[in-house]
Amino acid sequence: MPATEASIMSTDILEQRSRRDARNERLFRWLLKGCALIVLASLLGAAGATLWGGRDAFGTFGWHFLVSSEWDPGNDVYGAMVPVYGTVATSFIALLIAVPISFGIAVYLSEVAPTWLRTPVSSAIELLAGIPSIIYGMWGLFVFAPFFADHVKPWLTSNLGNKPDDGKLSWVAEHVPFVGKLFGSDYPFGASILVAGIVLAIMIIPFISSVMREVFQTVPTRLKESAYALGSSTWEVSWDIVLPYTRSAVIGGIFLGLGRALGETMAVTFVLGNAMHLSASLLDPGASIASTIANQFSEAAGLQKSALMALAFLLFVVTFIVLLIARLMLRRLASKEGR
Amino acid sequence: MTDSALATNPASETAASAAAPKLAVRDLHFYYSGFHALKGIDMDIPEKQVTAIIGPSGCGKSTLLRVFNRIYAIYPKLEAKGSIELDGENILDPGYSLNRLRSKVGMVFQKPVPFPMTIFENVAYGIRHHEKLSKANMEGRVEQALRSAALWDEVKDKLRQNALGLSGGQQQRLCIARAIALKPEVLLLDEPTSALDPIATSRIEQLVEELKSQFTIVIVTHNMQQAARVSDLTAFMYLGELIEFDRTERIFTKPGKKQTEDYITGRFG
Amino acid sequence: MSALYLRRRVTNAVAMTLSMLATLIGLAFLAWILWETLRQGIGALDLKLFTKVTAYGEDGGLLNSMVGSLIINFIGIAIATPIGVLAGTWLAEYADRTRLGESIRFLNDILLSAPSIVMGLFVYTIIVLPSTALTHGNTTFSGFAGGVALALIALPVIVRTTDEMLRLVPSTLREAALSLGVPQWKLTLQILIRAARSGIITGVLLALARISGETAPLLFTAFGNNYMALNPIDKMSSLPQIIYQYANDPGEAMHALAWAGAFVITMFVLLLSLASRLILFRTKVSHD
Repeated sequence: MPATEASIMSTDILEQRSRRDARNERLFRWLLKGCALIVLASLLGAAGATLWGGRDAFGTFGWHFLVSSEWDPGNDVYGAMVPVYGTVATSFIALLIAVPISFGIAVYLSEVAPTWLRTPVSSAIELLAGIPSIIYGMWGLFVFAPFFADHVKPWLTSNLGNKPDDGKLSWVAEHVPFVGKLFGSDYPFGASILVAGIVLAIMIIPFISSVMREVFQTVPTRLKESAYALGSSTWEVSWDIVLPYTRSAVIGGIFLGLGRALGETMAVTFVLGNAMHLSASLLDPGASIASTIANQFSEAAGLQKSALMALAFLLFVVTFIVLLIARLMLRRLASKEGR
Repeated sequence: MTDSALATNPASETAASAAAPKLAVRDLHFYYSGFHALKGIDMDIPEKQVTAIIGPSGCGKSTLLRVFNRIYAIYPKLEAKGSIELDGENILDPGYSLNRLRSKVGMVFQKPVPFPMTIFENVAYGIRHHEKLSKANMEGRVEQALRSAALWDEVKDKLRQNALGLSGGQQQRLCIARAIALKPEVLLLDEPTSALDPIATSRIEQLVEELKSQFTIVIVTHNMQQAARVSDLTAFMYLGELIEFDRTERIFTKPGKKQTEDYITGRFG
Repeated sequence: MSALYLRRRVTNAVAMTLSMLATLIGLAFLAWILWETLRQGIGALDLKLFTKVTAYGEDGGLLNSMVGSLIINFIGIAIATPIGVLAGTWLAEYADRTRLGESIRFLNDILLSAPSIVMGLFVYTIIVLPSTALTHGNTTFSGFAGGVALALIALPVIVRTTDEMLRLVPSTLREAALSLGVPQWKLTLQILIRAARSGIITGVLLALARISGETAPLLFTAFGNNYMALNPIDKMSSLPQIIYQYANDPGEAMHALAWAGAFVITMFVLLLSLASRLILFRTKVSHD
């Protein structure tokens, strides 16, 4: 077949088009990659901006910034200890409450509840995750904290605390170490580290329980069935088969909840009381990193602003590490599933 | 040696059709992540005939088909060695542009995969990438393709409706229309009826019969009766090797190899 | 019946009861929070909420905050959607199983739960401070800065859903388009994104639900404004910000306004998540 003029021309056009396609393809790739790199840039940027903003505080106080509990705008002296303690304590209380409840919910929804009940209940729990954190904060401030101050706190202070209203120490406060200090308070309001921890717990329960429920569903049915066939009870299957099988992902889910709790601002700020002093009591008000920034940043200047930025940097680094661990743990189960 | 000569060029038996092959496969090897999937395939596929490739699953028949338009190249770690000449030019040569190759070699897949757009757009989409046509010309071209795919009468009143609303058999004929709208020279069909019911299947088989006057057709099928019904030539593959390649009636009546006979008569596979 | 058997049965019964109790506790708190929001919110609903600005204080409404929220959310979604969809597309179509792709997918999941207040400070540093310096203090905090901060919160949500939804698109669709000689970028933009469209829209709605309740990142970016502001370079009020401000005010009337705002936000968020679920549900049904 002789090559006609027309076919040579069309080959030329094809080659031209190929070149144009290749160029467009490269441009498109770069555009997409650039967008993906924005994700990277915003993480690095957030760390960099807060570190840069906090450089004066870090430079002025050095390591002392981390261990000092003094926060005195009057004398321009700042230490991170009080908000760091408040953040850690509220998050720890939140986990202490949220983990067993989330586990219970996950077991109930994946093993116990009748099938028709599972979808509506789990959707309702997930609804809890969608409620904006400021709503939790308001509910905590106007509803839960007063309720706590009226009905729970008096009982705690008089039965467990070292500062009971009637001055008579209970047996527990006298004989069990630390408990008296943890629950002693002569401060009349509800806002406190404990209440903030409880509100945080309610906030992170849906996160942890939905991760747990999801990973429980990845346990192969034959594994559970063979245990049931041996006569195991539902509880034994959950505790001895399901939990060990999904352990790393369950820990991942818990760390995910912890990451949320550490960085949460609004739910905590409303119910923490914002007191910049260190108290051993869980019933006394305190401050967290996020609440301190939310409360003070707008009016801060100079070294105080820098100290707040430095706090934000600490918070970012700590949550980053916690979330990193969470994702790595969650990934382990995913790779097990893939195999 | 006589065996391989026979396997390579079945047309040699019928001296009249000794024209140059449309596709000439020479010593083709294919690897994916270390696995040797095709082992030295040699075959000549004649122009404007239907060539069927049969064999048990995993024999490499689909892999072979997917080398003919280099669609495998979208996945990493796949590698083809050897040569496939389309009208005398090696399409495995990196200098052979994919654009050119795919405008000459069309493909239809196992499951019908209409694009998420209208019936008209499904057919026009591919054309638009290769040619600039006026609105009227485009409409003519789409109609022509749909007619060739024996779908026009069923869809002419709903060209602007979403293609996902068609039945499975109609969707597959739409995919054939989409492929032939580019006026390719070779049409590859990868088990085109495996997801369809018997009635839709026989429509597609009829269509293959009609299309062979215009295109060189290579069809992979797991259905031996289908191969016997629609093809002029049949290749039998087993474990990545081409065992036998001959006129279809010969393969199904007097196969030259024991393995072919065993497969045809259902003793394995 | 052996003692061991009895003990196992009791343990199981106790554990099952506790698991049910845990679920009830979760549901009870949900009901409590929603109930209070509805009760106090509906009680405070009033026409002036939608007609008057916050400058009137107790006698005012929340009009400027609602408008501000809409503008800031719109800016956030308008920035985050194209970037997020393109980034998610890159992860699913171009960088699947590459090291950089895996790292960014991983870091995106972290960004998903990063503390939003830090994101607010980041945007304060890169937008509020420079604009203050460049305009000699004429433009400081702005609705635009608030929008950027919210975009950073919405971005990982959109990236993740786009990535997931595109990976659900069958690879045969890619092969079919490529076999027609269509280049990959056209295939991606014109076919794949269209095939995953409803999933991507769901992701955008979820992101909108997520950012419309965000408060912390707005405090130092959009700041707040007692009057109506429509220009994004002005300080701008938003519902979450005004709720925060009013809830911390000692006045009872202010609290009522805060509850009304909380009610509006909660309804908005719940409707959004309902809508996104419906879209996903509908497409699932039509695909089967």
